[in-house]
Amino acid sequence: MPGLLSSPLCLTVVWFLSWSLRPSCAQIWTDEVSDVQYGRLESNVTLACGQSKIGVPVVWYLNHSLALPWHKLMLDGALVLLHVDHSAQGNYSCYDNEGLLLHSVKLRLGRSPGLLSISCQVPNHTYVRCSWVESVKTFLPAKYNASFRGNGHEWRPCVLDVIRKQCDIDHPAFWQTMHTLRITETNSLGSETTFAQFKLHELLKPDPPESVLVKEIEGYPKRLTVSWNFPSSWPLHDAFPLVFQIRYRPRGSIYWSEIYSEENSVIIFDALAGHLHQVQVRARDEVNSESQWSEWSPLLLAQPWKVYPTPDPAVTDDGDYFFPFNTKPETSTAKSHNPVPDAEGNLGLVILLVVFSMVILATVLSLIFVMWLRKRRRNHVTKQELTSMVKMKSMPI
Amino acid sequence: MKLLLDSSSSLLFSLLLAQLPVFTSASPVPQRRPSDMDRLSNQTKNLMKLTQELLREHAFDSDVEPHRFRSLPEMSNRSANDLNNLELKPTLSQLHADLKLYEHHFEWLNRVSKKHHHPAVPKLVEMIREIKSLINLLHRQMLRVEAPRLAPATPSLPPHLPYQFDVLQSSHELLQHFKLFCDWAYRAFISLKPKVPAVQ
Repeated sequence: MPGLLSSPLCLTVVWFLSWSLRPSCAQIWTDEVSDVQYGRLESNVTLACGQSKIGVPVVWYLNHSLALPWHKLMLDGALVLLHVDHSAQGNYSCYDNEGLLLHSVKLRLGRSPGLLSISCQVPNHTYVRCSWVESVKTFLPAKYNASFRGNGHEWRPCVLDVIRKQCDIDHPAFWQTMHTLRITETNSLGSETTFAQFKLHELLKPDPPESVLVKEIEGYPKRLTVSWNFPSSWPLHDAFPLVFQIRYRPRGSIYWSEIYSEENSVIIFDALAGHLHQVQVRARDEVNSESQWSEWSPLLLAQPWKVYPTPDPAVTDDGDYFFPFNTKPETSTAKSHNPVPDAEGNLGLVILLVVFSMVILATVLSLIFVMWLRKRRRNHVTKQELTSMVKMKSMPI
Repeated sequence: MKLLLDSSSSLLFSLLLAQLPVFTSASPVPQRRPSDMDRLSNQTKNLMKLTQELLREHAFDSDVEPHRFRSLPEMSNRSANDLNNLELKPTLSQLHADLKLYEHHFEWLNRVSKKHHHPAVPKLVEMIREIKSLINLLHRQMLRVEAPRLAPATPSLPPHLPYQFDVLQSSHELLQHFKLFCDWAYRAFISLKPKVPAVQ
């Protein structure tokens, strides 16, 4: 057997086999590149050729191709890629002059993180969601670390959703003057920490009211009833009242009429009979006037109850008679919430005022009458005195 | 006749005068008297408005927190969830103690503002008056529900403010804190309203 192995023919076969298999071995190696090297875009990147000796010529391949981006080769075999762009990314491998793989590496190019542009949404007092946008496109995978705190207090983690680039804080200490969010972005080329300060009470912005309904009221051709629910994200508790703004206009008009309410329904008394109306509702925290209005609810279309061609004599427009509002919706007017019981209250107030003014008038008239009587009496007395004086003068002494 | 005339006119006049309050008070919709908790929440809202006016009128547009005041009522431990589970007596007692602390701070601010002839002084005086009024209202309510009075905390106030700028900064910080305190206190009062036992 040793004789067989040492025979010249066999040696030739072994040499041939090893020579012919060498490139395929290299192919396997390049596909299994485990090293990743990161480089900065628009800069020079140096790729070392493993343990190559100075002066020994090496050959570099990019993705098995000899076509390399703009580069220079160093004496130690290192490849310097000049002012790299994205096209320079790929799998690099260097071989000695005998075709032996010396080193392979995957090159990824990008930038180190820059500052983040952070914004926070505060849909209620128990929840804050902050999201960010990178000011620098890094092209590299990054890790984030986010924490949040009220002024002068301990950092609390902000729960990350890296894919959406946002983080959530449950139950923040809301009633503090200032909050700070700190996000650190780290990638292979470096890290950057961004601090952002917020006033939660000014960012507070409820979601729009939900299930908004606009309905006609049978028998009332100028009325519409609007109802809605609190936003589902808003806590239903006495401590968190909302104020609602309702706006409406006949379709085609550019002027909105407005009503404010703290309830979750209102009646519009001055709709334009026979016209389709656009109605929207939005909400704001009632206590904190520095908070923001929600977005408007989706536009709804509704028409007041219509008088049909064969009118029922029992149904008249009397219901609207007592509400001397401007029935032209082409005026932008802000009104307070004015449901039916309040309207009755107004009528009562008018009656009261009329009665009171009558009483005042009667009082004034009575006073004038009394004064007139007293004056007349005084005149009478003066006359009597004069008469008696004349009488006394005419008397013989 | 003279006597009769005099007396009749006076009688008529008195009668009409007597009718005036009857007419003025009569209303077709009977008005509900505000409860003590309503008064407390209204007064707190009033204070919040005053604070916002002061901040607006003497604007100091800065996000820098100077942290001059170390003894202001702690707000970091008050969350929205707490408002759902407030207990009447401890909350009233705590709010009373907090208000007393703010009263001390505002009195101090008033003194230093006077020294520097700050234009906010008249409104600060009004603010202190309103805080005192709220404290009295709250104390009355505490007596009614037998809520204990907490031992007053000792305020630690900045010793000396050499410049007008320091006064402005302190004023800004104090008002910002107080505005948020009023926001929380208002919510606390309206949450506690159903928990107050009816007056016998």
